[in-house]
Amino acid sequence: MAALGAERGEASKVEEKINTQKTADSWKRHIIRQLKHRDKYQKAMFQDVILAYINLLERSNQRALITKGILGSGSRYPASSNESLTSLISKNDDLKKTTGELAYQVLELQQEIKIKDSVLEEQHARMCEVKKDLLGVQAEDGSLAVRVAEVTEGNRLLKREYDSLLEQHHDMDQTFREEKLRGQEMLEELVRRKQHAAIRMNSRNERRVRAREASLQKELETAGKVKVTIDVGSVSAPASREASPKSDLAERRTTRLFRSASVTSPPRILDSIKELFDRKKRRGNSLCLSLEEELYVPVGICLAARVPVRALHVLDAHELGINAVRFSSSCNLLATGGTDRSIKLWDVKAGMLHNRGTLDGSNEGITSIEFDQTGTRVIAASYDKSALFWRLDDSAPKLTLTGHSRKVTAAKFKCSLRQVVTGSADRTVKIWDLHRAACIQTIEVLSYCSDVVCSEHVIVSGHYDRKIRFWDSRAASCTQEVPLQGR
Amino acid sequence: MADDKDVLRDVWFGRIPTCFTLYQDEITEREAEPFYLLLPRMSYLTLVTDKVKKHFLKVMKAEDIEEMWFDFEGTSLKWHYPIGLLFDLHASNTALPWSITVHFKNFPERDLLHCPSNSVIEAHFMSSIKEADALKHKSQVINDMQKKDHKQLWMGLQNVVLCSSDKFDQFWAMNRKLMEYPTEEGGFRYIPFRIYLTMSDRPFIQKLFRPISPDGHTHTLGDLLKEVYPVAIPNDDESKHYQVVIHGIEPLLETPLQWLSEHLSHPDNFLHISVIPAPSD
Repeated sequence: MAALGAERGEASKVEEKINTQKTADSWKRHIIRQLKHRDKYQKAMFQDVILAYINLLERSNQRALITKGILGSGSRYPASSNESLTSLISKNDDLKKTTGELAYQVLELQQEIKIKDSVLEEQHARMCEVKKDLLGVQAEDGSLAVRVAEVTEGNRLLKREYDSLLEQHHDMDQTFREEKLRGQEMLEELVRRKQHAAIRMNSRNERRVRAREASLQKELETAGKVKVTIDVGSVSAPASREASPKSDLAERRTTRLFRSASVTSPPRILDSIKELFDRKKRRGNSLCLSLEEELYVPVGICLAARVPVRALHVLDAHELGINAVRFSSSCNLLATGGTDRSIKLWDVKAGMLHNRGTLDGSNEGITSIEFDQTGTRVIAASYDKSALFWRLDDSAPKLTLTGHSRKVTAAKFKCSLRQVVTGSADRTVKIWDLHRAACIQTIEVLSYCSDVVCSEHVIVSGHYDRKIRFWDSRAASCTQEVPLQGR
Repeated sequence: MADDKDVLRDVWFGRIPTCFTLYQDEITEREAEPFYLLLPRMSYLTLVTDKVKKHFLKVMKAEDIEEMWFDFEGTSLKWHYPIGLLFDLHASNTALPWSITVHFKNFPERDLLHCPSNSVIEAHFMSSIKEADALKHKSQVINDMQKKDHKQLWMGLQNVVLCSSDKFDQFWAMNRKLMEYPTEEGGFRYIPFRIYLTMSDRPFIQKLFRPISPDGHTHTLGDLLKEVYPVAIPNDDESKHYQVVIHGIEPLLETPLQWLSEHLSHPDNFLHISVIPAPSD
């Protein structure tokens, strides 16, 4: 029931709407109709007429203006009452014609005015453009002038900076030069002072040397006067020990070339022989072998030390000067060599020298001789730039070791018996292998080598530059340089 | 609705053929010819009569010109009433064209307002619009508009003389906003209307009147008249004494007031209703 009622309500509402619409339509239609009616009567009928009227009015006004203008000009001719009608009519016609012509002229003039106006506008426009360009150019000019000013300003600043820098440079140059001069002066001063110091040092050293020599001489004189008596078997007193290094020093210093048969050697020889025999007793049988192979180095204890005063035996041994004298370490042999190119062997018996043999083979004078440790081989260095090697049972050299470029001043056996060390005037020290007769090592020495002494691994060489040098034969490098006084 | 648009256009482009005659007591150099013009119903007298002035100035001396004013059969025509209203009120049932007399002297100070320039007309027009919007929307819509929108309204009216439709569109583009109302209300808050009477001391009747009754019933023109000026509505057995004229037509009394306000208002958004004595033949 409610649903039906609602439906009916809706339907009635729709009906009402339609009704209202219809009524709405009716009054609206009425209004529209009324408006149209009104317009028809009030507007439409009159519109055209009034528009046409207005047009005519305008045209008549225009004509009135034109006729006024013409009449104004034409008013000079007064129209008298006596003039006939025809003339007036003709005048009227003429005026009409002129009216037409003038109207035409008016149109033409209006056209010309239009054209002139357009030309004027064009020129205006062009002028405006030109003005604009001018403004633009002026602005550019202004900006360029500004830039020019800026650049000149910048230039001025730079120039000022440059000037100041130049001045600074000058000043620094000046100071540099002054400093350099001062430096040079100071250097010279320094050198001078150093020279002075060196001279002073030299004089001081000379004085010291002289003083030492003088004192030594005095000591030697006193020592020479003292006689020391020693038992053969006893160990020497410490005083003799101290004396020996000094005597060695003296020996070395006075002359290298002179080896004298001093008082010290015979007791040493005696001792060594005795020891050998003792050993033989201990050993027993192998006599001959032990002599050969024994590498035992007898440690000689210096039993007595004395400066030789008088010669025991004087003998004319060689035709020319003797350069080298050497005792053999094992037998009683003495070898002498000299400028006459030969080595003579002497036996020392009871203070007398007896000739035993000669070793030839050298082409020039002999400078040094050395016996090896067994006493059966001799190595000699000679002026003919070679070192020669003899066996005592043969007078001709077994080996000649050549390789030096100048005279060989010293040749010594190295402890290993296979190797020989030679020192030469060509500023080298060479180590030779006897079995191959070839040089194993060459040591550049920098100065005229005059003598060589070698031990297990160390070679000592004496040089003309007042230095002795120690060499490590393993490394062939100079381990020590000892500058000495004298030559 | 297309019908509504047609109504708007017809209302906007309404014209009255008028003949302006110079008052014979005015001093002229020559005889002044009458000037015919189709006046727009929507505009105001002083806005559209420049040509009239120019026409009559040709025959008068400059020193005799004062402010121009018009009258019709002795009644000075108030320029601040729309032309259509003036015609409906004074000359509805007279012969067309409407003959207006042009005066240049003896301005009736007590009857007419001076109109020195168009800005005075603009001020009057804008104030009417604002008053109407105050009644319709509590001034919200008109206050939301910018100054340029107000100008557009005025420009649209100014050019109503020209029979071009784009001025119509220009005006209604803005005026449309003033004709809107929130849908839940069903209409404006109050209807802006004025009822003009020929025989009365007061110039017009203006009262607050709602378009929708409290019980949802839409008010009609008849309801309005019954409420405000019941004399205008004849009783059933009496003949019609008065005509209720809007824009030169008599709408039916059933016409809804809201629709009337939307479509038959003048540009100043007011419903100007004339109640004139019915013609007796």
